[in-house]
Amino acid sequence: MSTIVQLQSITKVYGIGDIIVNALSGVDLTVNAGEYCSIMGTSGSGKSTMMNIIGCLDRPTAGRYYLDGIEVDTLADNELARIRNQKLGFVFQQFHLLSQLTAWENVMLPMIYAGVPVQERRDRAREALVRVGLEQRLQNKPTQLSGGQQQRVAIARAIVNRPVVLLADEPTGALDSTTTEEILDIFGELNASGMTVVMVTHEADVARRTHRIIWFKDGKVLESNLSPKDVALVSAG
Amino acid sequence: MDWLESGNMAVKTLTSNKLRTGLTMLGMIIGNASVIAMIGIGQGAQRLASEQFESLGPNVLFVTPGSQGARQRTTFLPRNLVWDDAKAIAAQVPSVASVAPQRQSQLSITYGGKNRTTLVMGTAPEYLVVRDFDVAKGRFINNVDLERNTRVAILGSEVAEQFFEGKDPIGSKIRIRNISFEVVGVLQPKGSFLGNNQDDAVYIPLTTSATSLTGRTSPFGLDLTFISISAINEASIPAAEFQITNLLRRRHKIINEDDFTVQTQKDILRIVGTITGGLTALLAAIAAVSLLVGGIGIMNIMLVSVSERTQEIGLRKAIGASEQDILMQFMIEAVMLSAAGGIVGTGVGIGGILLVAAFSPLQAVVSPLAITLAVTVSGTIGLVFGVFPARQAARLDPIVALRSA
Repeated sequence: MSTIVQLQSITKVYGIGDIIVNALSGVDLTVNAGEYCSIMGTSGSGKSTMMNIIGCLDRPTAGRYYLDGIEVDTLADNELARIRNQKLGFVFQQFHLLSQLTAWENVMLPMIYAGVPVQERRDRAREALVRVGLEQRLQNKPTQLSGGQQQRVAIARAIVNRPVVLLADEPTGALDSTTTEEILDIFGELNASGMTVVMVTHEADVARRTHRIIWFKDGKVLESNLSPKDVALVSAG
Repeated sequence: MDWLESGNMAVKTLTSNKLRTGLTMLGMIIGNASVIAMIGIGQGAQRLASEQFESLGPNVLFVTPGSQGARQRTTFLPRNLVWDDAKAIAAQVPSVASVAPQRQSQLSITYGGKNRTTLVMGTAPEYLVVRDFDVAKGRFINNVDLERNTRVAILGSEVAEQFFEGKDPIGSKIRIRNISFEVVGVLQPKGSFLGNNQDDAVYIPLTTSATSLTGRTSPFGLDLTFISISAINEASIPAAEFQITNLLRRRHKIINEDDFTVQTQKDILRIVGTITGGLTALLAAIAAVSLLVGGIGIMNIMLVSVSERTQEIGLRKAIGASEQDILMQFMIEAVMLSAAGGIVGTGVGIGGILLVAAFSPLQAVVSPLAITLAVTVSGTIGLVFGVFPARQAARLDPIVALRSA
């Protein structure tokens, strides 16, 4: 089983004037291909910082990060943009769809930056939308879609460039419980078909659907391989 | 990402907020329209002035009393240009075809119960040839009139219309300064010259003018207001100018500064050209300010747009847009705004020129140079004023950008 995410002694320090905050202090973490794991922790535990580093939106202060075998902590901004485009898929709590574009155009967006030819772009975007069950909503703008449907468009956009890992930051945080189940079903299906999924959540019910729980506390990994049945332990603190 | 994609995306963004796009473009539209209209109107005025001077008659030169300097210094011009000068020019300068001595004053004219102050010109038969006038009815001044100081008058078409209202004036008596003159002819309408109505004039023999009306004679002879001269052809104008100058210097026994001025049509055209050219430049400069203001408007809106679209920028960066991609996207939006404003403004400007031409004697001059200039300048303005907001956008930290709500 190949390693997708490999973090070695990752440290992230934020300095605001004289105050220095150790957001992450010496994190070692490995995520293998095909895993479905969730990152949990209280706010301020460093899980968001962890997500930004895994997502190549931020660089560690120290330590090494290999993504799909590439050492990304040393890359320049433009190279990181390319990595995000080719290797990573993002799903956000707030969906972040572009309101002036249709669902279809939103899904095509990452392929525009990847330089995919127009016809292939259209086909692959449609395929991705079919995969999340939105073949009837290709031409709708985000405002004409429900929250769950918008998040499904966002998932289609995240997977359309065939990333090595799908990163989800509180993907169900803005959704009701029924819709949450639907979205988690999609993540489950994607994982079942081989997609590596890493999800940040603070909801125990959401974490329980994943196969492995990583528990952050005070900038460190407290437990890196909890099973879903231990989730009660985590929520208890 | 290629240019086509960026352009496509910019069009989508710009059309999604049509009111704002329209208002932003309005600044550029007004700027461009005024630049193009002002240059067009200025050039129209320039051309009008040139044509009017050309209509003075072919190959015309003018001799006026007083040096260039004296003309600027004194109110009263020296009465040193006389009929004998004109006669000498006609007799001795080979490059000259015709010489028309002119002596003019504003005098009161009465006919029936009507009264009118108008230009009374004492001149010779050559005037018709030199100034390219035609007789509509009757005859012009002849040599017999000059010899005998006859009290005959030829009316400009405007004067004839005012006094006689369509009736035949030939044979009627008008009074100039209370002296009776017989109307013997009427001229064809000639139109106005630099705002002066050339048809609002009465022509009488030069000699009659001196003896019966104004009575002014200088110590040197019968004084003239000016002499109009036609050269035999265009090529001989410089020769004529030189020969006339030499002759008059000799006749006036001049050692230092000339006490007369010889001007060719070209000289006058150049002066008019300088004035109207300066005017055009001034108008264009004023209009260019509005173009600049339009550019600042674009920068303003682009800055607002960047801060409003922080989340969009964050998202684009998260899914793989590089700094250059974002920079290009915002630059293209700015250039599109200004170029579109430039093109629409050009249309409006041309419309303005045509409108002015339709309601004034000015000709419509649509200068391709002005259009190229305005569109290039507005494109550049978009580029220049787009850089700052676009850089702001490109440098946004995606994490911060995504989190801003």
